[in-house]
Amino acid sequence: MTQIPPIGSERKHSLRHLVEECFRREAGLSVAIPGDDVDLIERGILDSMGWVSFLRGVESASGAGELGSALNDRSASFAAILGALQRSESRIPEVPSDGSGRGISKGVVPAFTVGSSSVVGSQLIPSEEVDRAFGMSIGKLRSRAGIESVARAADGENELVLGAEAAQDALRAASCGAQQLDWIVATSETHHDYPSLSAQLHARLLVRENCGALDVGGACLGLLNAFAIAQSLIGSGQAQTVAVVTADVHSRTLTPGRVAGEFGGLFGDGASAFILRREESTDPNGGYRLGEFLFGCASQYAAAIQVSDAKDGGLAVRFDGEALSRAAITRMEKVLAAVELRSGISRADVGGFATHQPNPRLVTLLAKQCGVSPSAFPPIAKTSGNLGSSTCGAALHAALQAAAKQARGKRQPIFLASLGPGLLFGGGWLTPQD
Amino acid sequence: MSKLLITEITRMGPAFCIIGLQHQNEKIQSIRPVPSFSNGWPHFPHHRGDILECTLTPFPGNKPHVEDRVSTRGFKKISAVPEAETVVYLRKSEQARSLPDLFGCPIHENKKGSGLYANPREAQRSICGCETQNLRLELCANELRATLALPSGEVLRDLPVVDRDWRDFVDAALAEGRGANRTARLERFLNSHFHYKIMSCPHHFIRLGLTRPFYDLCWLMLDTLFPLPRREWLQEF
Repeated sequence: MTQIPPIGSERKHSLRHLVEECFRREAGLSVAIPGDDVDLIERGILDSMGWVSFLRGVESASGAGELGSALNDRSASFAAILGALQRSESRIPEVPSDGSGRGISKGVVPAFTVGSSSVVGSQLIPSEEVDRAFGMSIGKLRSRAGIESVARAADGENELVLGAEAAQDALRAASCGAQQLDWIVATSETHHDYPSLSAQLHARLLVRENCGALDVGGACLGLLNAFAIAQSLIGSGQAQTVAVVTADVHSRTLTPGRVAGEFGGLFGDGASAFILRREESTDPNGGYRLGEFLFGCASQYAAAIQVSDAKDGGLAVRFDGEALSRAAITRMEKVLAAVELRSGISRADVGGFATHQPNPRLVTLLAKQCGVSPSAFPPIAKTSGNLGSSTCGAALHAALQAAAKQARGKRQPIFLASLGPGLLFGGGWLTPQD
Repeated sequence: MSKLLITEITRMGPAFCIIGLQHQNEKIQSIRPVPSFSNGWPHFPHHRGDILECTLTPFPGNKPHVEDRVSTRGFKKISAVPEAETVVYLRKSEQARSLPDLFGCPIHENKKGSGLYANPREAQRSICGCETQNLRLELCANELRATLALPSGEVLRDLPVVDRDWRDFVDAALAEGRGANRTARLERFLNSHFHYKIMSCPHHFIRLGLTRPFYDLCWLMLDTLFPLPRREWLQEF
C-alpha cells in the first residue's frame, strides 16, 4: 500500500474548511456538517447528483484536478474526499510560505507585481455619438449597457503605441530598466499582424536581445493567461523580471457597417502593463504577490459569441447578447466563489475586484449577485468601454493604485476574474506584501 | 390500442421509466407510458426495439413531461426491430443540434457545482435525441457520468447516465466474480475501447431527458446511448 507523505496540520485544517464550505454550498446552511465517516448518499444527505456536484465544487476550489476516479470504490464521505485531497497535495512540491497563512497556496512560487500602468485611446467619444455612428437609437448604449463614453485610439495610436506607453509607465513605476526584462508576455484580441505584438514591443522598448517575447491568446481572458505564464517563468527560474502587456484597439475592426452597434459599440481601445518580479518590491508601499490561478472552459456557452473572418474580408460575428450576459454573470460569480474558497480569503475582505467588464450594467449585476459593493469594481467600462484583454488590466491597475493610497497593513487582497469566447474563464488573486 | 416501439428504458431510483415511439398523423413522436399509481414501472421485462401493444389515455402530462400517457392495461409484445432500425426511427422523431433547441428553452448551469437544468415552466418537452461530436463516459466517485459535445459544439458535462442497459453493463463489469482491479479495468475500457466502439458505430445516437421537477428544477440526464453495450465486451477487459 502506498504511504501518503504527511502534510502540515495547518494545511489539513484549510482543506477541511474548504470541503465544509463546498458542502454547505451544495447542501445548504441548514444541513449540519456530517461526521467524517458518514456516507452522504446512504444517509440520504445528498443524492447522487448532489454528491457529484459537491465533488466538482471541491475539485474547482482546491485545484486538485480530477478526484472522481480517486474516489471510486470508496464511500461518499468527508473522510474519502479529505484522503483523496491529501494524496493529491502530497504530489505537489512544497514552496516556502510567507508565514501569513492567508491566500498563499502550496505549489505557487512567489511572483510580485512591482509596477503597473494602464492607458486608453486619447479620444473620448460620448456614447450618444457611438449610437449615432452605428445607427442605433440615441441613448441606447447609456441606458441599456450603462456606457457613458468610449475611449478610441487617435490616428497615430495602435496596439503597439498604447502597449509600449503602458509598459514604459510600468517600468518607471517599478524603477526597472528595460534591459532588466527577461521576458515580455503580450496579449491582444485585436492585433493579428506579424511581427507579433510581443516582437514589436521587444523592439520598441529596447530590451536585451536575449529577452524572450511571447504572445498569448484568450481574448478578454488574455491578461490572466499572461500572468499564469509569467508566474511559471519566474517560478521555474527562467526569469527574474517579466513584463506582461495587454493592448487592444477595437475601433479599427469593429466598425459601423461591419458589425452591429449592439456589439461593436460596446468596445473601446486601451492597454495595460505589469512588471512582475521574483523579489519583493523595495517600494515602501510594497507590491502585491500573485496567488494561484484557476482556468477552464464552459463550452456549453460557446455559441453565445463567435467571431471569424468572412471570405469577403468582412467579419462574421455571432453575438447573442442575452445568452452571453446570463453566462457571463453565472460563470464569473462561480469563478469568484472558487477563488474565495481556494484562497481562503472572504470576499468581504477583498479591496478590489479586477474583473472583466463586458459592460457596466453587468458589473453592477455581478456585484449584486456576489453580495459585494459595486464600488469595489473599478469603473473602467463606464467611461472607456469594454477594452478586451485590457479591461481586466485597467481594473487591476486602478485597484493597485487605490491600494497604494492605503497605509501598510491596511491594504486588502484583490480578486481577478475574466472570461473569453469559448466560454473560457479564469480567476486568481493577489495579496499585499505587507 | 396503441403500438409503441420501445426506445428508452431508464433506471430512476427503484423503478424503470419507459419511452416509446408512436406513429401518429404522419409524425413519429415520443410517448412515455406511466402506470396510474406512479411515474415508473417496478418491473419491465421488455427491451429496446420491442414493439408493444398497450392502451393509453389520450391526455398528455404536465409540462415539460408532455409525453406522459397513463397506461391502463399491461404491455403485449407483438414484434421487434433491430437496434440500427430503432435508431432510424429515433432520427425521425424529436431531434436537436444545439442546447436551447433540446427542450425548447434555455438550459442553465448549476451555480454551485455540476449539472445542467431547465426551468419546468419553460421547457416544451422532456426528451430529445441528438447526434454527438464526441462522447465520454466516466465513473466519477462510483457514479456513472457522461460528457458530450453536441453538433453545435456546446459541451454538456456530468450528465447522470440512467440508461438501464449501460448501467447493467457497468454493474456486471464491477461484479465480484470478475476478479481484482475491477474499477481500474472498467475505467481503462471506458477510456479506450469504449470510445472507439461508440464513435465508430454508424447508428451512434443519444437521447437526453429531463428529470421530474426536483425543487422546481428539471435536470438533464443521458437517457439512452446507442449502440447498447454487449455482454461479450466484458471479456475484453
